[in-house]
Amino acid sequence: MEEVVTDTVAPEDLKKFEKKYNAELVKGAVSKETQFEYAWCLIRSKYSNDIVKGIQLLEELVQKSSKDDQRDYLFYLSVANYRLKEYERALKYIRILLKNEPGNNQAIELEKLIERALKKDGLVGMAIVGGIGLGVAGLAGLIGLAVAKGGAKS
Amino acid sequence: MTTAPYNYSYIFKYIIIGDMGVGKSCLLHQFTEKKFMADCPHTIGVEFGTRIMEVSGQKVKLQIWDTAGQERFRAVTRSYYRGAAGALMVYDITRRSTYNHLSSWLTDARNLTNPNTVIILIGNKADLEAQRDVTYEEAKQFAEENGLLFLEASAKTGENVEDAFLEAAKKIYQNIQDGSLDLNAAESGVQHKPSAPQGGRLGNDAPSQKEGCSC
Repeated sequence: MEEVVTDTVAPEDLKKFEKKYNAELVKGAVSKETQFEYAWCLIRSKYSNDIVKGIQLLEELVQKSSKDDQRDYLFYLSVANYRLKEYERALKYIRILLKNEPGNNQAIELEKLIERALKKDGLVGMAIVGGIGLGVAGLAGLIGLAVAKGGAKS
Repeated sequence: MTTAPYNYSYIFKYIIIGDMGVGKSCLLHQFTEKKFMADCPHTIGVEFGTRIMEVSGQKVKLQIWDTAGQERFRAVTRSYYRGAAGALMVYDITRRSTYNHLSSWLTDARNLTNPNTVIILIGNKADLEAQRDVTYEEAKQFAEENGLLFLEASAKTGENVEDAFLEAAKKIYQNIQDGSLDLNAAESGVQHKPSAPQGGRLGNDAPSQKEGCSC
């Protein structure tokens, strides 16, 4: 699963599907297929702006679709948010998919991956908070020392 | 994630293609997990699997991209064909329509991979003999006419699943050895990972008649 979520789109592919999307947009109506293809490429981009745009397109598709069609969009919304390190949101989308399809192996694997990332993030966060705590304690100690010294001099 | 001393000498990139419901993901799952997935839902986009196997005395890591068969994914999954060293083109022996569509899959595979890409035709669900809709002989003939390797297999029983991946790998390895596959080409789909104990054998394996460059 890690390979699937870290895989990046070839720039020429992104361009190709962007062109197709824009051509339909100019004509007034973008088909769901074209919008999905473009969104799937966008969310595999190296650039977070592209991923954000892909997310918008996918969210539109979710709103316009029946439950059966939503699985693709939900899956890639989860992947996209994972790529942006928005793990809570990634988890939300994959859990909607899993509610509809509890046995879906791809979704189960993705959920595991997100949960691991969240846990890791949590540990790093705790380390940072811990670090700040130590720093504050250290600073307080120094001030205390300075005050004590100042007090001793006067 | 790569660990420093490789326990394999080569990486081959594979793709699995074919109509929806022919059992592509089940073949991959049987190959990587040695288990049959009953009730396998349609793949979303692409799946990935990997396994190290011994090919003609060399440890080879297969990196396999399993593509969704549903039409709506087809335009984008084509980009995964690029740089594949091997392709499993799968049909279902109990559904003739999946066999009839092979020429379209083959056209894509030929157009989007390189001339050295090894394509193996797999007739899956060989355990369902009573429901057979495509004979072994006609598929064999189709494969021969198009220069493809061919096997009938069953993801359910595991029959010939290992061999499907292995036969293609052997052919790729043979192409490396006889020099017809250029490892330096950008999209050969093969990476050489000289592992510590076997590093010295590189010279024997690849007698390069070309310029001095042998990475």
